[in-house]
Amino acid sequence: MAFHRITFNVNGELEQADVPSNMTLLKMLRENLALTGTKNGCAEGECGACTVLMNGEPVNSCLVLAVECDGAEIVTVEGLAHDERLDAVQQTIIDAGGVQCGFCTPGILISARALLDRNPQPSEEDIRIALVGNLCRCTGYVRIIQGVQEAARI
Amino acid sequence: MVMEETNTKVPSPIGENKIRLDAREKVTGAALFADDIQFGSGLLHARVKRSPHPHARIISIDTSKAKALPGVKAVVTGEDYPGYIGLYLLDRHIFCRDKVRYVGDPVAGVAAKSEQIAEKALQLIEVEYEVLEPVLDPEAGVSPEAPLLHPNLEEYEVANFIFPEPGTNISNHFKIRKGDVESVWDECEALVERKYHIPHIQHVPIEPHVAIAKVDETGEVTLWGSSQSPFAQRNLIAKCLGISQSDMRVIAPYVGGGFGSKAGVSMEALAVVIASQVKGRPVKLLLTREEEFYTAFVRQGLVAYFKMGCDADGRLLAMENKFFWDAGAYTEYGVNITRASGYSSSGPYEVPNVKTDSYCVYTNHPVGGPMRGFGMPEMHAGLEQCIDELARDIDMDPVEFRRINCLKTGSVLVTGSKMHPIGLTQCLEKAADAIGWGSKAPPSAPNKKRGKGIALMWKAPAMPPNAGSSAWVELAEDGTLTVGVGGQDIGQGAFTVAAQMAAAALGVPYEWVRIATPVDTLYSPYEWQTVASRLTWSMGNAVVNAAKDARRQILDLVAEAWEEDPQNLDIVNGIVVSYKSEREMPLKDIAIYGLPKPDDQGWLGGPVRGRGNFMPSYITGLDPETGQGERAVVHYTTGAQAVELEVDLDTGRVEILRGVSAFDVGRAINPELVEAQMEGGFVQGMSSALFESMQLKDGVMQNPSFVDYRIATSTDVPLDLENIIVEVPQDDGPWGARGVGEHSMVPTIPAIANAIYDAVGIRMEGPPFTAEKIYLAMLDAGIVK
Amino acid sequence: MSIDAHPGLPEFDYIKPTTLKEASDFLIAHAGEARPLMGGTDIFVRMRSGGWNDKYLVDVKCLEGMNDISYDPHKGLSIGAAVNMNRVIASREVQDNYALLLQAASSVASYQLRTRATIVGNICNASPAGDTIGACILLGGVLHVHGNGGIRQEPIKTFFKGPGETLLRTGDIVTSIHFPVPEEGARGVYIKLGRNKASDLSIVGVTVFGYPDVNVPSGYRIRLALASVAPLPLVVDQVEAILTETSIDEDRLMLAAEAAMHACTPIDDVRASARYRKVMTRNLSFNALKVVWKDLKKL
Repeated sequence: MAFHRITFNVNGELEQADVPSNMTLLKMLRENLALTGTKNGCAEGECGACTVLMNGEPVNSCLVLAVECDGAEIVTVEGLAHDERLDAVQQTIIDAGGVQCGFCTPGILISARALLDRNPQPSEEDIRIALVGNLCRCTGYVRIIQGVQEAARI
Repeated sequence: MVMEETNTKVPSPIGENKIRLDAREKVTGAALFADDIQFGSGLLHARVKRSPHPHARIISIDTSKAKALPGVKAVVTGEDYPGYIGLYLLDRHIFCRDKVRYVGDPVAGVAAKSEQIAEKALQLIEVEYEVLEPVLDPEAGVSPEAPLLHPNLEEYEVANFIFPEPGTNISNHFKIRKGDVESVWDECEALVERKYHIPHIQHVPIEPHVAIAKVDETGEVTLWGSSQSPFAQRNLIAKCLGISQSDMRVIAPYVGGGFGSKAGVSMEALAVVIASQVKGRPVKLLLTREEEFYTAFVRQGLVAYFKMGCDADGRLLAMENKFFWDAGAYTEYGVNITRASGYSSSGPYEVPNVKTDSYCVYTNHPVGGPMRGFGMPEMHAGLEQCIDELARDIDMDPVEFRRINCLKTGSVLVTGSKMHPIGLTQCLEKAADAIGWGSKAPPSAPNKKRGKGIALMWKAPAMPPNAGSSAWVELAEDGTLTVGVGGQDIGQGAFTVAAQMAAAALGVPYEWVRIATPVDTLYSPYEWQTVASRLTWSMGNAVVNAAKDARRQILDLVAEAWEEDPQNLDIVNGIVVSYKSEREMPLKDIAIYGLPKPDDQGWLGGPVRGRGNFMPSYITGLDPETGQGERAVVHYTTGAQAVELEVDLDTGRVEILRGVSAFDVGRAINPELVEAQMEGGFVQGMSSALFESMQLKDGVMQNPSFVDYRIATSTDVPLDLENIIVEVPQDDGPWGARGVGEHSMVPTIPAIANAIYDAVGIRMEGPPFTAEKIYLAMLDAGIVK
Repeated sequence: MSIDAHPGLPEFDYIKPTTLKEASDFLIAHAGEARPLMGGTDIFVRMRSGGWNDKYLVDVKCLEGMNDISYDPHKGLSIGAAVNMNRVIASREVQDNYALLLQAASSVASYQLRTRATIVGNICNASPAGDTIGACILLGGVLHVHGNGGIRQEPIKTFFKGPGETLLRTGDIVTSIHFPVPEEGARGVYIKLGRNKASDLSIVGVTVFGYPDVNVPSGYRIRLALASVAPLPLVVDQVEAILTETSIDEDRLMLAAEAAMHACTPIDDVRASARYRKVMTRNLSFNALKVVWKDLKKL
């Protein structure tokens, strides 16, 4: 199986890697770069725990090949906070009580951040639809939705 | 949120909405889960060869080709591991030896340098089976003609409160014989007889099961896993392998959702056994989502028969219940669900005559295990619909009917014991009030029908009588506190609540408290398991005792140094104060180095470490023939849920518009976290009511992925969820607290079912109440054309 | 998915040609063991399940023209094969002129999946459940295909041979999809019934598209396509006939909806029974026809 040398940007850092054809972006992040905030929940694009930003848009990193990221800009949950300061939606989801087990949280935060970037004033329905690809089994979503609403308000 | 006014004063931060301790690391991605731990390039990857048959005899297993594959480091079968494993009934081998009993039963395991090599090795393992007739229905399973799944049932080691019937597929038969049901049927003004079928569902934590095991040259085992039960895993795996519990260490980082599926032992022993063949190398077994669906614990199926009757005044006179639990291939854990549903089989009602037979039946279905509610959601699903029907049959309002019959302080329970102080009536009234019971708003569109429903619940922690907890607290140089616990934070907020309790009991600010994580059986204090909604109460008591112990050490020391009576001393906000001399001293000046003696010649005290434990001492057995006894359980948490919904007449789709939860939690240590449990439980209950079932066909799950096992998403939930906390304190709970983690999904199915009936007048044999099922039922009933 | 689904993707080689010709030539040279890769949302799932075992995935996303989306008020809309659904949904021209396509695309899975999913991919999978296929057929979509013999055009209406089977041949690469300018006053709707409120595959999907037409007795030409109730995406021609013959009222719409119900041939599967799908085809067809008819009457 062929290996490919790729160059890409993760959370503002330039990285280079030699990746096999069948390596997913998720696997590369978790295993090569030890960015384990991005989670593996189903490996088929259904649960959203592996959601990251690729060139500013959320993708299921389990369904993207590492080699396809050559030249891309990736942001993971580890890249949301800056200089110890949490991103607004990280703080509002904490304040709203939208964190329980925390396994879906990274993917939810990425989807929420992407939503707020493309639509700074989302309606409740916009938020629900933006998060439909992020399954959560603990919270019942209500406090997560409220957290995103609050992030849009501030 | 609506909070009950309480007069008792509680110390800070009890009753305060502290932000959960783990929130920041969870939003930054820093929180470590088991699969996140980096083991470097020495890590081996395990995969498991599994049975394609629901029931078969293993004729032979040939692993020679797999062993010869380059990169393969170990191939394991059941041959070398004859031990049995299980929590209440030891009926399971780690790898199958003679027979396979469900699709997915582990037959062989491989460790290799990569997952891909391990997978190739699996394909090279040849297994010859003789296919046997399966048992696929619990009622058929109890018949004498049914194939026997565990012929040596009588040889299995079993807890003394579980009653298997050797020579049958019944691994536990729990009975209630209270009063005489036969004599009162004739006196009943109304009788309801119903059958319900509750399908298998699964927990589906978003984090799949994962275990990493390493066995060193001396045989000492280390297991890292996503675990609700590190100590139970230490005990059960050590016992099965015949090693000392001290040689088995379990390290349990954060759990990405448990709901019961990560309690006891499920797949963890597989990793240990495989690792034992490659000493010194860590071996990781990570279930795919598909394996998770096929092979992790499931919520057992249930076929339930109810017969109940009341008099003209609406007083319940008798109940006769028969439960056939479709408990799966191994019932090591499930046997106690059968028992719990038996001793709770009256529902939260005082009923003078009760006859119950609850059967745990072996079938060739996936292995039943504990799931949030532990049998109660399944049982209440039918029972609370029958209660509604009975009320309607005598033209009584279902809320009024429940008010008359529901348990009150001092009521005689189905097991003969007396109910402790509870606020169930308050829960009922507040839930009914909040949902606007008795009023009906018009539907939002002409093709919709609107309805309201309500249901009550009760549930006790189901566990051995002597399940224990322990804790320690240790002060650092600056007076801050580290609390050691063996219970796990699986999202419910157990660590936060433990920290609040330790802060309150010792007298330091909440911000000074850390929890020693991850839970590690080598360093953490013993905890039976993170199950049964027992941590706030049981582990909480241990934490309080440990904090009190530390407090006593500090106050005795200061009293001696200051030559005062410890009765006059207190710790407030991290400062020791004397109410007599008005002296003050911060803990940081005391915690590690002690204090000089009063005459300044030498020192007193030393590093402060408080220890505490808790174990209920008052639990008695139940008579095996009648199910009667003095005190079968530690306590019951009770509550009510009410919903308002609409049914779409064009499609049958249900939309939940509003939900109300009201639970008597004794005392809310952190009301915000209590509410979060009520809300999350409501939605999980709603998801099980509307969407979820494992579609089993000839023992094979037809929908083993999120594509076809649907759970509630962000678009399916109502934002209008009201959570009502009722507080009638528990006599032996910390500040009166009881657990509420599981209870919030117990009454959801029947509350929704009752609301659907209210809306369109139909009842179904069981959930999920999918759009299809509702529409076709309406079609058959002539409600739609 | 079977119990033996792989934890990761099986081995294959990732090929990234620089021209369409190079890509076609590679696919032909490795017939039977190579596949063009677009968003991968379907391919990776099938490879992980063991269903597909290609030796090569040929990434055609970055080839010339594949990422372009353009609209011309005379010629219509052209969407490059690699343009993801979110871009289609966000396109001003699509919002203004092809609302039906936008609505159908918006119903597919989740936002993050749609960052990778494409309209052309949805069509080429040839799943009877494909949400955008009905809209593409009724809007008169035509695929541009680069193959061995150069560029050719394939109307979507006649593109499907069976579930998962299309007219594409080895070496073919769909480069774009084209839609004519919709008729004056055209209106459409997609109604999808899934198990959840959103994100699910369809149990039944109904697409209706209509426009005023003075040449027919009813004054309107209204067409209907169905998803998930036949082996192929199904256009029910009787609906068009019923709704052109004579003036339209609710009874007439119900007659058309019943024709849709009789035309479909659903099966029982894990998502729903054939019986439910049949009646839902009628009910949702009626609702969808009513929406479009009412919209048209407002003109």
